[in-house]
Amino acid sequence: MNARKRRRQIFWIITKHWWRAAVESRFGFVGITVRREVFARELRFAFEKLGPAFIKLGQLISIRPDMFPPQYVFEMENLRDSVTPTPFEEMKPVFEEELGKPAEELFESINPIPIGSASIAQVYKAKLAFDYKPVIGEVLPAGTDLAIKMVRPGSEEKIRGDIAAVTPLVNTLHKLKPLKRFNMPQLLQEFADSITSEIDLRIEGRTSDRFAFDFIDDPYVTTATIVWPQSSKSILTMQFVEGWHLHESDQATAAGVDARFLAIHGADVFMKQVMVVGRFHADMHQSNLLLTPGGKICYIDFGIMGEVKEEHKEAIAQILAATVYADAKRAIQYSADIGLIVRDSEREEVIGKVSALMKRTFSKSPRDVRGFAIGFLSILNEQRVVVPRGFGLLVKALVVVEGCAQTVYDDIDIVEAAETFTTELVLKHMLRPARLYKKLPLAIDAAINELIG
Amino acid sequence: MPLRNADVMKFLAVWEMVHEMADEGMKASIERGKTTEKGEMASDPGAFVDGLAAIIDEKKDAIKAELIEGKDAEFDKDDSATARAVDEVRFEVAELRGKLESMSATLDAIQAKL
Repeated sequence: MNARKRRRQIFWIITKHWWRAAVESRFGFVGITVRREVFARELRFAFEKLGPAFIKLGQLISIRPDMFPPQYVFEMENLRDSVTPTPFEEMKPVFEEELGKPAEELFESINPIPIGSASIAQVYKAKLAFDYKPVIGEVLPAGTDLAIKMVRPGSEEKIRGDIAAVTPLVNTLHKLKPLKRFNMPQLLQEFADSITSEIDLRIEGRTSDRFAFDFIDDPYVTTATIVWPQSSKSILTMQFVEGWHLHESDQATAAGVDARFLAIHGADVFMKQVMVVGRFHADMHQSNLLLTPGGKICYIDFGIMGEVKEEHKEAIAQILAATVYADAKRAIQYSADIGLIVRDSEREEVIGKVSALMKRTFSKSPRDVRGFAIGFLSILNEQRVVVPRGFGLLVKALVVVEGCAQTVYDDIDIVEAAETFTTELVLKHMLRPARLYKKLPLAIDAAINELIG
Repeated sequence: MPLRNADVMKFLAVWEMVHEMADEGMKASIERGKTTEKGEMASDPGAFVDGLAAIIDEKKDAIKAELIEGKDAEFDKDDSATARAVDEVRFEVAELRGKLESMSATLDAIQAKL
């Protein structure tokens, strides 16, 4: 299909769903929240129809609460990313093209029926042909089960073709005043850049190794070991990890795995990623986590990672502690340190709204972190407060962690689960020698005033 | 006025009494903290202090157990910047090996095409 035809197809599919949303929302005569929910749902349906490039675009929207209203961000989580698999015969040449040998020589055996298929890649099961010492962990003996993730030939070209087709459309839409603030041309450029790194599976493999190293001392965390001699730009070979998805936690429990402990530990692991390591898995939806028979959480698919700057860690620890202790004033105060600036004239109003939101969402058990996040982002959106990208990603990731934990046990309160860890961490930050050196004179002054005042 | 022996003794007694009271206070706080339900720490400052005391006490027991077992205490391990730096370099070398293995496979592929 040429670019003009494709552009027309994209235009009509989006228009059809936009119209459907307009009718369903009675042409805007419903509340703003409901209106946004309806439009977000129809946009998701349109993206699912339009194929891989739009599914990826939707996934990008789902991690940008700094740019889009929360209703769109959370709706895009529901994108169904499954496509008809490409036959193995068409995938086979990729092995020779990128690894110099046919699949039969590279592996002891390979099953030509894929075990998974998504918009860009599909996954096969195989067996390791030789002993291999990985970057992290024990030697994998020959015969070890492997999972081979392969980028489908032509995926990149198709996505780039779609980007080229929609560019004139996006530039026209950007001229419309109500859509200007979404800065769609910038989002499209960012999308084009992100595709480059998603297509190169070596980046994901290296991130996986790094994650394994960061959590090498944690006996409850594992990753799929990467087999580098059988990996290239479009092929990522890793150890096949047996396990249960989170929605199968009943089976894990029946097999003797303490799934509840792992769900709580998962919240601590997230806090450690953010506040100690400074890198966090930002795409932690349910299919990217497994509970292993050995009683561990296995993290897979490191396609999207968030980063936390060293100088922001203390502020984030303080914000999380303020959230744990429902202290809106403190949360807003420390948010300024990571670039979330509330104008002085609006500060009291925002604190009041956030405080009321905390009361509403945190007074019940378990606390409703998702409800709080959507409400908090909506308040910032209404007040036109610029949300830094990293902050938005972090809030979104925290909600996903809650969703994952509650899939295992729906009464888990991740704020409560993270209470001990967050408190310890805040104390650690507060007792840092550099901070004490800065604060000690003030403390002494305060003490003298108290004694003689 | 010269310092009398009785004054020194009184000072030491007061010092001991302060410690005793603090110790008893701490123990009582730990006990209260242990019975505090999770999530109650946020309810008031007193509950926070009790909860914190219980957390610290758990940490103390862990260190004690490690010392009895003859292991290095956790803080020794954590604070060892050198050991961490060595691990970091070791990881980078292993990571480099991984990169080389992948590049070598790519080279094989290019060679096969020639």
